[in-house]
Amino acid sequence: MTTVYAPPRRSAPARHSPAGAVLALLWAGAAGVVALWWADTGSVVGAAGRLTGAGRIAGLLCGYACAVLVGLMARVPLLERRIGSDRVARWHAMAGRYTICLLPAHIVLILLGYAAQDRASVWHETVTVVLDYPDMLKATFGTVVLFAVGITSARAARRRLSYEFWYYVHLLTYGAVFLAFFHQLTLGNEFNGHPVATAAWYALYLGVAALVLWFRVLTPVRLNLRHRLRVESVHQEAPDVYSVVVRGRRLHELDARAGQFFRWRFLGQGMGWTSTPYSLSAPPRPEQMRITVKALGGHSAAVSLLRPGTRVWAEGPYGSLTADRQSSPKSLLIAGGVGITPMRALFETLPGEVTLLYRARTAADLALGAELEAIANWRRAKVLYALNGPDGRRPDLTARTLRATVPDLAGHDVYLCGPHGFAREMYDQLRAAGVPDRRIHHESFEL
Amino acid sequence: MHALRKNSPLRRIVLASAATVSGMVLLLSLKPHSTPETALAVPAPSSSSGAGTSGGSSGGSSASGTRTVTGDTIQTRWGPVQVRITLKGGRLTEVTAVQYPTDNPRDQEINSFALPRLRSEALQAQSANIDTVSGATYTSDGYRQSLQSALDSAGG
Repeated sequence: MTTVYAPPRRSAPARHSPAGAVLALLWAGAAGVVALWWADTGSVVGAAGRLTGAGRIAGLLCGYACAVLVGLMARVPLLERRIGSDRVARWHAMAGRYTICLLPAHIVLILLGYAAQDRASVWHETVTVVLDYPDMLKATFGTVVLFAVGITSARAARRRLSYEFWYYVHLLTYGAVFLAFFHQLTLGNEFNGHPVATAAWYALYLGVAALVLWFRVLTPVRLNLRHRLRVESVHQEAPDVYSVVVRGRRLHELDARAGQFFRWRFLGQGMGWTSTPYSLSAPPRPEQMRITVKALGGHSAAVSLLRPGTRVWAEGPYGSLTADRQSSPKSLLIAGGVGITPMRALFETLPGEVTLLYRARTAADLALGAELEAIANWRRAKVLYALNGPDGRRPDLTARTLRATVPDLAGHDVYLCGPHGFAREMYDQLRAAGVPDRRIHHESFEL
Repeated sequence: MHALRKNSPLRRIVLASAATVSGMVLLLSLKPHSTPETALAVPAPSSSSGAGTSGGSSGGSSASGTRTVTGDTIQTRWGPVQVRITLKGGRLTEVTAVQYPTDNPRDQEINSFALPRLRSEALQAQSANIDTVSGATYTSDGYRQSLQSALDSAGG
């Protein structure tokens, strides 16, 4: 599998992540939404005024957060490749939790406020609002769906539900947000009779819808029609670790880079329903890409049984764990278990002086070992293995030993990939060893 | 914030909620809490010469000294408001809302409680010097202005 590619380029300065700018923009939008309320509200009179006022602010923020939530998951390349899919997914999760808190606040405050104004019972008010107010039946239905999405996404529920169930419930979010949209304009004080605010709200929602349509639907369709991917072969690399080579046309046009991943759907054999992220385990070639997968069960276990010729639907490339993050001519790659996959690709292509530290239980568990040795010889790089002792004792990977094994550790960029517990532990040790936060590059598919 | 730094989403959501709640309370408390008589952004009686706007002297006096005067139509944000007053021997005996916003159910609901209160306040005060009904700021203001115009033309 080893091939010699062009010699590494000279190290360029790290590209600045647009994360700060994007976050600032999102917060500015939230401030703008509150400003809408501020500009529209003359005075806040009595308890009823306070309740409806707070309910309106919550409602506006909720409407804004819904658009942001969907926009963050639109697979916009700027977000996926420059900020990182994992980081954007975590923002999405935070925004989701926030929305799920704002939503009941909006409902309860508005109903209490209206009831206080009308001197009616909350129950009477609820029935009137839901049944008689324009677009409120739709909004109520949308709200129920949003709560269902929120509940199935809570950590406790996620653990008990299958990925597919969670995923398809999650897809209903689009419908829920659509249903809830209309009451915002017909009943929102801030939009009623305010053409500029209404136009801005339409622009926000239509803009997000356009992003979703373009990047989640049209872009993948175009990619797959153009590149026509099929499984070429499956190889066993270690116990339970398999490589899948996918062949397609003009793959260099994808501009996929070492360290990135695709979301894969293997059509047929009952696997077409799930799309799973797997990193490229070698730099892509003009007609071939390779992933390496640990058979953990379900989807990943079925990968080992894939037959050559199976059609593949891929979306990507995504991920920001690339040479762009490099800010120093020296890099340390740390792989835990099957976390070796993106590290293997980076080990071959990352410019400068590279050291690879590979943590596995036993020598038999080392995947892609021969390739790693070949690359190490070719580019005169070092591979260090951290295996359990014969008595099962875990290797000593502490700040002290790391500093002793890797001279000038603090001057390195560290790329880290592995199971969450391992990555977190390594992060703590690296920080203790004096590696600055911004030099530790990590990407994880877990939230 | 590095993803691997220990952080609990629960703590962050509690912090975010606390920040949101304090922000809301702050914003709400920064707004005026009484309805200023003049500061409201209600457009002046627009095109008061328009059809049916100046009720001024349209009152029909009768022998018993009962007069009916219709006030100006006041355009509020939610729609026009217009009242008709009945004066008996110089006393305000009845105020009827001729026009009021009815476009959506929220308006209807507001009017169902606001209009009776505005009427009884006006009868009690015998003038347009009446309080705003909470939750019906715009309607109250339109009501007040229309009532004032009716009283003005009855007096003049």
